[in-house]
Amino acid sequence: MNSFYTQILLTLFFVSIVFLHIVKKNITTVILYSLQSLAIVLLLVNSFLETGKNSLLFVACLVLVVKVILAPAFFINSINKFKLKFLVTTYVNTPLTLISVTILTAFAHSKLFISLAHIIPINEHLLYLALSAIFISLFLIVNCKVALSQIIAVLSLENSIVAFGFFAGLEQSPILQIGIVFDIFVWIIIATVFISMIQKHFGSLDVTEMKYLKD
Amino acid sequence: MEIIIIFISLIIVSAICFFIKYRGTIEVCSILSSGVALVGSIIVAIKVAEIGSYTRYGIFYVDALGAITMLIIGLIGFVTTIYSIQYLHQETTKNIIGFHRVKQFFTLLNIFLLAMFLAITASSPIFAWISIEATTLSTAFLISFYNKPSAIEGAWKYLIINSIGLILGFFGTLLYFTSVSSSNTELINWQLLADKAVHLDPMLAKIAFVFILIGYGTKIGLVPMHTWKPDAYSKAPAPLGALLSGALLPVAFTIVMKFKIITDIAVGDLFSKNLLIVFGILSIGIATLIMFNARNYKRLLAYSSIENAGLITLGFGLGGFGVFAATFHLIFHSCIKAILFFSSGNLLLKYNSSKINRIKGALSVVPFTSILFIIGFLILTGMPPFGIFFSKMLILSVGIKTNPIVTILVIIFTTIVFVGFLKHVTKMFFGKKTDDVTVGEVSDWLLFSPTLLLVIVFCLSFYLPSFLSKLINMVSLTY
Repeated sequence: MNSFYTQILLTLFFVSIVFLHIVKKNITTVILYSLQSLAIVLLLVNSFLETGKNSLLFVACLVLVVKVILAPAFFINSINKFKLKFLVTTYVNTPLTLISVTILTAFAHSKLFISLAHIIPINEHLLYLALSAIFISLFLIVNCKVALSQIIAVLSLENSIVAFGFFAGLEQSPILQIGIVFDIFVWIIIATVFISMIQKHFGSLDVTEMKYLKD
Repeated sequence: MEIIIIFISLIIVSAICFFIKYRGTIEVCSILSSGVALVGSIIVAIKVAEIGSYTRYGIFYVDALGAITMLIIGLIGFVTTIYSIQYLHQETTKNIIGFHRVKQFFTLLNIFLLAMFLAITASSPIFAWISIEATTLSTAFLISFYNKPSAIEGAWKYLIINSIGLILGFFGTLLYFTSVSSSNTELINWQLLADKAVHLDPMLAKIAFVFILIGYGTKIGLVPMHTWKPDAYSKAPAPLGALLSGALLPVAFTIVMKFKIITDIAVGDLFSKNLLIVFGILSIGIATLIMFNARNYKRLLAYSSIENAGLITLGFGLGGFGVFAATFHLIFHSCIKAILFFSSGNLLLKYNSSKINRIKGALSVVPFTSILFIIGFLILTGMPPFGIFFSKMLILSVGIKTNPIVTILVIIFTTIVFVGFLKHVTKMFFGKKTDDVTVGEVSDWLLFSPTLLLVIVFCLSFYLPSFLSKLINMVSLTY
């Protein structure tokens, strides 16, 4: 594996999640998600170039279509349709968010997870970084107030786990990978439909407006 | 072949429900497909009881617990389909829904059943995960079925919480794969993972099982991942509540147990048992305390599901006879909870409210529905001589020897559940009826499914068919 190239890709992936915490515009969150998905595609392409397995190239193309092109297209369409140019809001302010991200990254590098990082010892630092990405994606889900950002945070968590699986050598058979991508695609469609329904019923995508279940 | 027939019938009927514009055709086909699924499940269960497991084409694998879960899905799916037909007819008459919604309901119902059967029969853990995720996707629109703000909110909560849980479950699943060489080109299945489990790093196995328990535990509704459950159950149509509680819970539970076997090989059984006991007692305790002050009877049933999921988890955590009792409990809980959800559906149609304080004198208004609900409540809370009494007694008797403090807590909580439930039942069914409600059942057909289930529960309490008895014994030996 071309370690410098993959290191750069994973670092970009990690940085994109950190930025997802601090950007304020919906459109930027979509672009960041698209970029991190592109990093996943490039990792798969790199793997194809090294192993020569055509199935990997096929899965990479599928991920490119679903996560880099279609999903962002759906989200941008929703943003334009409902004029959702307002700011992305979080429960915790930016300085505290960054402190939390730092703590979570340090936590992921703790001895508690040494067995995860040692699945493939040569990839230890990359696995720690991927694990950090998982944790800060989870924090992103909790921290978001807006439905669209929550969706992107869930998808970001999924990407982080895919990245971890990649560096841990836990890639699945092509059929299962296609199944997983198809599942994610259907999930994206359903989540996008729910965005429309939430906007229609609540006049906003802010989930803190959802107060009908307090009985 | 049986499994393939189940899948094909459900796929064809989903398509029919989506494309055909005749309500009668949709209803008849749905009953036929769920009937085929029930018969297919019984055949598979008998075969598993005879030969130990059922393997086909390298992609399907059913063990004893899987066979029992298949039976549960088949039975609850069949009675739910029958009940749904009349239930949706009543809602159409009341102008609550139109024909388009009926089509949507049966299409998604069949897809939901298909996804559950796929999850339980898949030989690959990843394929099982994909199928479980498909259950979330197919039911999200059923929870938002009435298209009200509260229903959308409940469905959104369900979608997000379950998706996060399942993604973490996916992570846990991937970690188990580290025991299998990366050069392996076969489809990684449950059997291969169990065979290679000795090579699994013990710490890694522990972390993986924690993620599995959090991931699939979200689907089961174990505390603290339970928060979607009361909202989803209370906003979904009553028949869906029966399926979510009666069928989906055992499916997710069976998958957790499959991972438990692998974990136990890698690290010994103490770790998983302790975790199951902790999650079990936590679920029983929290659900009990909330149930006591419930104000909505559908939410009450949701919390009861959490409490019973806790009891089943505890039983498996205790091991030995506890597993036998928990398996027994799993079967009875599914049937009883379906009876209660069907009865609650009848009450909802009659009173147009799911608030407990708006239901008064139901025994004189809808006597048969009320009797079904009251009997369901008595059985569920462990009244002798029904099956749940024995399963609870067995779990407690195993627990008192190995974990006395936990068992005493469970005894206290189950007593509170009985008192709390009794308080709500008394308020709803006894006393004087309100003047604005007319006396009489909404429809006699709505009584068919719960009565059928009650007869089955009654029979199973005193006589277990030999194949079912064999399956339960096999489960206690395996888990």
